[in-house]
Amino acid sequence: MAEAPATEVRGRQPGKSGLGEALSSLVAIVVALIFLFPLYWAFSTSLRNPIDTFTVAGLGIPWIDFEPTLDNWISQLATPEAARALGNSTIIAVFASLLALLLGTPAAYALARFRFRIIPNRDLTVWFLSQRVLPPVATVIPFYLVMRSLGLLDTHLALILVNATFTLPFVVVILRQTFMDLPMELEESAFVDGAGYATTFFKIVLPLAAPSIAASGLIIFAFTWNEFLFALTLSSKNVITVPIHMAGGVDSRGVQFWFMAVRAMIAMIPPVLIALIAQRYIVRGLTLGAVKG
Amino acid sequence: MRWTSRVRFLFLMPAVIWVLAFTVFPLGYSLYIAFYKIEQKVEITREKVPMLDEAGEPVLSKSGKPRTKNIVHKKEISTSEFVGGFNFRRLFNDPQVWSAVKVTAIFVGAAVPMQLALGFLLALLFNQHLFGRPALRAVMILPIFATPIAVGYLFFTIFYEEGGPLGFLGIPFLSNPDWALFSVILVDVWQWTPFCFLVFLAALQGLPDELYEAARIDGASAIDMITKVLLPLLQPTIFIVLLLRLAEALKLFDIPFALTGGGPGIATQSYSFLAFRTGLRFFDLGYASAMAYGLLIAVMIIVTLFFRRLRETYG
Repeated sequence: MAEAPATEVRGRQPGKSGLGEALSSLVAIVVALIFLFPLYWAFSTSLRNPIDTFTVAGLGIPWIDFEPTLDNWISQLATPEAARALGNSTIIAVFASLLALLLGTPAAYALARFRFRIIPNRDLTVWFLSQRVLPPVATVIPFYLVMRSLGLLDTHLALILVNATFTLPFVVVILRQTFMDLPMELEESAFVDGAGYATTFFKIVLPLAAPSIAASGLIIFAFTWNEFLFALTLSSKNVITVPIHMAGGVDSRGVQFWFMAVRAMIAMIPPVLIALIAQRYIVRGLTLGAVKG
Repeated sequence: MRWTSRVRFLFLMPAVIWVLAFTVFPLGYSLYIAFYKIEQKVEITREKVPMLDEAGEPVLSKSGKPRTKNIVHKKEISTSEFVGGFNFRRLFNDPQVWSAVKVTAIFVGAAVPMQLALGFLLALLFNQHLFGRPALRAVMILPIFATPIAVGYLFFTIFYEEGGPLGFLGIPFLSNPDWALFSVILVDVWQWTPFCFLVFLAALQGLPDELYEAARIDGASAIDMITKVLLPLLQPTIFIVLLLRLAEALKLFDIPFALTGGGPGIATQSYSFLAFRTGLRFFDLGYASAMAYGLLIAVMIIVTLFFRRLRETYG
């Protein structure tokens, strides 16, 4: 997808001296460390004994500033609530992503390849896109009322439906761009050879677009994993997701930073890993295909 | 291509119907309830019933009369009453609304320009030979996908005034109203500057090498290069990043929820936060819907301003 892989180093100022490069590198390293610090701090706090939490010196480096322990991790992961939250979030994110891909992929293909006359394609695309910028608080109240009257409050299904809805426009806009970038000749020659619609789409188009579809799936998995407002509104006891579990522990047990740090780490690790895996697709993904990364 | 129109619609329609059902319908429903005053009341009635013993016989008091006990019936009833534009008029006279508008405006007005400017500067920095650049770029990606609610709690531990890592600064990060809003802005800048940075870096790397070469031969200064060449060329990218950040920043909810709980007082109660509280904590659903519509209109105005450019982008 990206013409230049992210890892390739493209120099811009060939005439620049070694000293200038060293200085720029130094500044860049300091900047990266500043952005890394909060995540590092969570990691460091999560390894501390409760008594060390507020007393460690300096940068709180394990083994140097304090003796690290895995006790917080073990006691947090051992709670049934944590296991259930992880399970719930996984179920919801997997099914919401699959549902969004199932609905969005054909629509993206239709917008990339066919011309619609009544409403021009680009208006349809912008319409899908505009769903993405919609403030969720505008739909949370009607969703709450509808789910309540359907008896779907506090179910996985409610959160799967809601998250599929929010991520569907993303899938449509991103994959439309992917399909547009595929050479049309392959599909046309398949057609000439007498392949039907289904064969062309499933055997020719989908395999070519598979990496991009997979990356989109991962990114919307992360979106769903991180979603908070609707999980907070539509669930109460049974379908606690990871972000709700994170928020819940603070109210009921006071401020226990060591547990909070573990929970923050547990919540953040899956989406952050996804960000690293799908690095090449992130720019295109987050700008909804407007900027090629 | 030669696909029949029936097949085309079969591909497109499920997604369109889905969005109509799950987005457009709720928005319409929300507008409808914005014209109603909806109240959730718990109606309590007490009923006197005769007390029975285990055998089912009425228990008699000392004076020989059957004893009675009270049974309390709780019934949740929701009443709705058409109130016309009352909820919308109420918005303008509600000091909480004005406070939330102010908080959100300051937040958006400060955070978004900071993210764009800082992101652009960092993109310029990274758009050159650097030691270990792929690794540094990977580090910069991490904040973008970090769970916002976890980020909020995480920064709560960082801004903790007694014993937090920034405690030595002696700044009342969360206990002073102005600093608390600043802290919310700072967290958002931490999370979203990397996004602006990544997009700008990708756009800079997409420019042809000859451009830089030509500017160097012409002896253009670095400032001229940025203001006269790079910024104009990056304008479409800057617009799309600005639109996405504006729309996203107006939704502000998770970070104040976790970091400050909207406080101290209502100093960091964003507009979305207030609408959420009004509707789903105090269950004033009609008023909260009217409130949410205010935000929706603000977002629609922004999207409309950008509409032509969006159409060109996706043309």
